[in-house]
Amino acid sequence: MTIAVVGLGNVLEGDDAFGPWVIQWLTAHYEFGEGVSVEDLGTPGLDLHPFLVDREVIVVVDTVRSEGAPGELRLYRKDQILKHAPQPRLSPHDPGLKESLMALEFRGDPPREVLLVGAIPGTVDHLIGMTPPLLAAVPLAGAEVVKELERLGHPPVPRVPPGEPDIWWER
Amino acid sequence: MGQRITVDPITRIEGHLRIDVEVDGGRITNAWSTGTMWRGIEVILKGRDPRDAWVFTQRFCGVCTTVHAIASVRAVEHALKMEIPLNAQYIRNLIIAAHAMHDHIVHFYQLSALDWVDVVSALKADPAGAAKVGQSLSDWPGNSVQEMQAVKDKLASFVAGGQLGIFTNGYWGHPAMKLPPEVNLLAVAHYLQALDYQRKVNQIVTLLGSKTPNIQNLAVGGVANAINLDSSSTLNMVKLYFIKDVLDEVEAFVKKVYLPDVAAIGSMYPAWLGYGSGVTNYMAVPELPLDGNGTQFDLPGGTIMGGDMSSFKPITSFDDPYFRENVTESIARSWYDGDWNRHPWEGETVPKHTEWTPEAKYSWVKAPRFAGKPTQVGPLAAVLVGVAAGHEPTKKYLTEAVSLASKLAGTQLGVQHLHSTLGRHLCRAVRCAVMFDAALHQWELLVGNIGKGDVAIFNPPVFPKGEQRGFGFHEAPRGTLSHWIVIDNGKIKNYQAVVPSTWNAGPRDEKDQRGPYEASLIGNPIADPKLPLEVLRTIHSFDPCLACAVHTIDVEGNEIGRIKVL
Repeated sequence: MTIAVVGLGNVLEGDDAFGPWVIQWLTAHYEFGEGVSVEDLGTPGLDLHPFLVDREVIVVVDTVRSEGAPGELRLYRKDQILKHAPQPRLSPHDPGLKESLMALEFRGDPPREVLLVGAIPGTVDHLIGMTPPLLAAVPLAGAEVVKELERLGHPPVPRVPPGEPDIWWER
Repeated sequence: MGQRITVDPITRIEGHLRIDVEVDGGRITNAWSTGTMWRGIEVILKGRDPRDAWVFTQRFCGVCTTVHAIASVRAVEHALKMEIPLNAQYIRNLIIAAHAMHDHIVHFYQLSALDWVDVVSALKADPAGAAKVGQSLSDWPGNSVQEMQAVKDKLASFVAGGQLGIFTNGYWGHPAMKLPPEVNLLAVAHYLQALDYQRKVNQIVTLLGSKTPNIQNLAVGGVANAINLDSSSTLNMVKLYFIKDVLDEVEAFVKKVYLPDVAAIGSMYPAWLGYGSGVTNYMAVPELPLDGNGTQFDLPGGTIMGGDMSSFKPITSFDDPYFRENVTESIARSWYDGDWNRHPWEGETVPKHTEWTPEAKYSWVKAPRFAGKPTQVGPLAAVLVGVAAGHEPTKKYLTEAVSLASKLAGTQLGVQHLHSTLGRHLCRAVRCAVMFDAALHQWELLVGNIGKGDVAIFNPPVFPKGEQRGFGFHEAPRGTLSHWIVIDNGKIKNYQAVVPSTWNAGPRDEKDQRGPYEASLIGNPIADPKLPLEVLRTIHSFDPCLACAVHTIDVEGNEIGRIKVL
């Protein structure tokens, strides 16, 4: 089985750094076994596609647009992500998750399962650093990823003692 | 005043580009291009170590990561008057060429083709007929009857499942869709194949850059790819031949699928070789340097003004004063404090937002100008500059594409048809083929140089006391990108990025001159104001990539894209 855990988000845009932050938290706290890749991909748009190919399961960590307070988590599975059509895009910047998944569905080799662990952002603006509710949500989102990997029979091994997340963009 | 149409795929915190047009008698009579997000990321770089700038600049934008990394290290190296080792230059060049091919293929098939291709119509196609059309264009093995039948079956089952998925927002059945069902089926087959080839060519970027998006192998002064042909952990023969194998596989797709497809679509939409011209001042910078400090290049650069090929002036080096002295940015119509038109070294980014006011300020994008003139950048500019400079590979692939399109259209097409919506697509395909040949050349140069025993990859930068100014340009897939840096005592004092989509998508300036997007829309037809497909066609032909990447995913909302008619 191959599982990709990917963090999406722009580290220069306040709370949009959530996905990359969770990836750094995960790799500081756990070692991941064969067949599990864990990566911060920034905001790849349609360039997300290569990371979804030949994977059985995708776990995405990102900010999501939803009703609720900043820092609240929302979980979604593949059919919920695909339910609504993507909007007409003027630029390749718009999120690529839905479209990349749909292209693979059409081609006939989509990932079997998708889990999106999303956090509702507070401040998204040109600045470095996340607001307290999003920082507080990092370990919770990390725990959701770990739970999913355990369910799939690929539990990560905790690092003892855990390392410090490498938040290089805040240095 | 005619009817006003706004095309605005805006979400709560996302949304990068909005286009407003006025339509009268089925034609666009006026247009405004608005960048809807503050572009002030440069501010984040002030006070940082110039050696780290590239790591941050490649996070400007999630799609154009590589290009901002390249322009940044070049800017710092230029400020320090540095040379870098030949291997470093060749490795960077291979990354640049592979990234460009990847980007062009994605742009045409995944982002633009559905403006021209009616997917649902493909269900009516005769697979044998589609294969015949394909085989008349090239001997690509993916044009077989079996392949066409398989794609048609896949499409049919997708539609039967009520799941048009990715294509749900296609404009099928739109009166501006003109391709016969067989050509639509062929295009859908190539859409699927393109997914494989764009991924394949990007493997070169991943291998050399360690990671993509967001390559890891750059450094001010060179690259971090240690070379040792006998080691498994460094750049070695196995990896070099992997790159060669990937190039060999991708060549056929570029030359036998992409280039002929664009020529064929051009021939079937001849009117769109007339619409979409607009600003005919063009600029491309030279790319793929062949020496350590950028005085010789594989691909030429220069300017062409007023669409007049005889006005060609070359840009010849990383230090060319013709480029350095003629770039300015105007904020007269942009949401920044002031109304100046300044050189990027003197530029400021102080936001001052007002209502959207078409007579005054209406965009977050600044308006770059070359010698005071709005100037179009991108593959069309690069190809015209290549022709004017006598660049043989550019002339060869352009002639090939134009001859095929002329034959299919039954009329002789010429350079004048390139100043158009489909001319932009055609030139992007030509540029992709040129990039392929250049990539192969760079691969040979790298292997040859290593074969001579040269394994140097890095010259350490030295930061003198006091102030240094530098600029780094890069002919990116979307056009000319330049980063401008002022360093003071080893720290960044000012940083400005003048990106391709600001050249093209920028608003009017202090002289009320429209930017390229705006000018290109004037005169375009609009068959149905509720479905302004024609606006998307022309804007997409520039390959817009604007705001640099906030991208919160919307899962629950129904109406995140909005096309409204006022």
